[in-house]
Amino acid sequence: MANVSPVLSIVRDEPASAAIEVAGLTHVYDGRDGKVPALTDIAMTVGAGRFVVIVGPSGCGKTSLLMMMAGLRHQTSGTIRIQGRPIDNPDPERVGVVFQEASLFPWLTALDNIEFPLALRHAPKAERAERANQMLNLVGLQGFGARYPHELSGGMKQRVSIARGLVQDPPVLLMDEPFAALDEQTRMTMGHELLRIWSQTAKTVVFVTHSLTEAVYLADEVLVMSARPGRIIGRIAINLPRPRTYEMMATDIFGCLRDRIWQQIRKEG
Amino acid sequence: MKRPAPATVRWLILAGLLVFWELFPRTGIIPELFMPPLSKVLAVLAKDWREYASELAVTLYEVACAMLIACGAGILAGALVGGVALLRSLLLPVFSSLYAVPLVILYPIFTAWFGIGSESKIIFAGVYGFFPVMLSTAAGIRTIDAQLLLAARSMGATLPQQIARVIIPASIPTVLTGLRLGGALTIIGVVVSEMLISSAGIGYLVTRYRTILDSAHVFGAIVVILLLSILFDTFARAVERRTLVWQTAGRRQKAGEVVQIAGSPAPAPV
Repeated sequence: MANVSPVLSIVRDEPASAAIEVAGLTHVYDGRDGKVPALTDIAMTVGAGRFVVIVGPSGCGKTSLLMMMAGLRHQTSGTIRIQGRPIDNPDPERVGVVFQEASLFPWLTALDNIEFPLALRHAPKAERAERANQMLNLVGLQGFGARYPHELSGGMKQRVSIARGLVQDPPVLLMDEPFAALDEQTRMTMGHELLRIWSQTAKTVVFVTHSLTEAVYLADEVLVMSARPGRIIGRIAINLPRPRTYEMMATDIFGCLRDRIWQQIRKEG
Repeated sequence: MKRPAPATVRWLILAGLLVFWELFPRTGIIPELFMPPLSKVLAVLAKDWREYASELAVTLYEVACAMLIACGAGILAGALVGGVALLRSLLLPVFSSLYAVPLVILYPIFTAWFGIGSESKIIFAGVYGFFPVMLSTAAGIRTIDAQLLLAARSMGATLPQQIARVIIPASIPTVLTGLRLGGALTIIGVVVSEMLISSAGIGYLVTRYRTILDSAHVFGAIVVILLLSILFDTFARAVERRTLVWQTAGRRQKAGEVVQIAGSPAPAPV
């Protein structure tokens, strides 16, 4: 290991305060031919304020894992603790979720979509409007609050979706391939925007993606999952300096990191 | 040459048909009994408007009651069948096949059960209109984007909140289409049952004047029914348009909004 540069070092020491702790998590579902193991013995810790990206082949269970962290699905065994407490049901005060399709309510304007979580817990109207407008500004959509989702571009919809995920100010933001449906250019811009928003809000982010470039560009740490049953087979620290720039993508180190992730995935496949 | 707008062409075709209706019977090619000129029909309507109005009132009352049954029961049953998997697998195939049966064959039985007054018409037309309302409500609920419900749950929505804030608004477009179809069917149901066995209503007028070969009065009643149906359809479509403003608003507003974007301080984001 002596000749490995610091940038490529394996993550060993865990940060002091953990926002997400997953231990001994296993998931088995009932398939047509009996029990199908989907996730096996997942253990991971995400330090507060870290940006962790999960990559892995299709069907490896990365989305399932994320849904379990969101309290939207229940694992067969094992524990997930968010901010020190187990999560059994969705808790928007602790966890915001951004889905692959922006999943905006088409009958609500952008602003009403962002307000939706606040309306669910009957927050006063003035407070709702104020928070929603702050979020709208944060994601760079000032002036677009009165638009309906079908009047927004794909990237703008995901901005609204991010704003909605952050409106209750949860410490943790889970993102399930949020930019997968966008074109390459929009995707790059959105990645950059997400890092800006992240640096302004200091959230803990877990981000699932297929794109290795996106993974290296965004992450503090990349977790590589195996094909089904999903296991974590690699943890790669991305010690590129922040703020990240587009130019970094052309550097050798960037290519090296991406290649390293690719090797891990390929070895398993 | 500039092409005329489709709307203009539509009105021209309608005007053409009306002119044809006035002039063709006067040529003597067909007997007036088959088709009296438009002006004679209108004259009959003007002369006997009291009779038409009082029979129309009966029909309207029956239609209103039948629509209430069709919409109320249809939405309720559709929500249950669409929302509960067990009911769906048990009942949906039955309801779908029943929809294909010409229910009018049941009408004589309905008269035996409920008499030849308004009740049998209301119930028959209610059942007739029930099916499209029920089926489209069920479809509307079944085809809701599961992702939207997942998103709502992730934001902490309880089941009642999911129903009130996601399921109902998301199924409104399909339900409204069902109400429009169901409403049109209740009108058909009432008029047909009045024509078959009855003693009042606008459908009854058609039958009564036909038996005494008074074709001007028959056509008068037909015109009234036509207007009733068109009026209902226009109304229903207007309601749909108003309610579904979120589906179409953009196309109408875009031009105005581009200016606003250009004037806003921040560059338009992707």
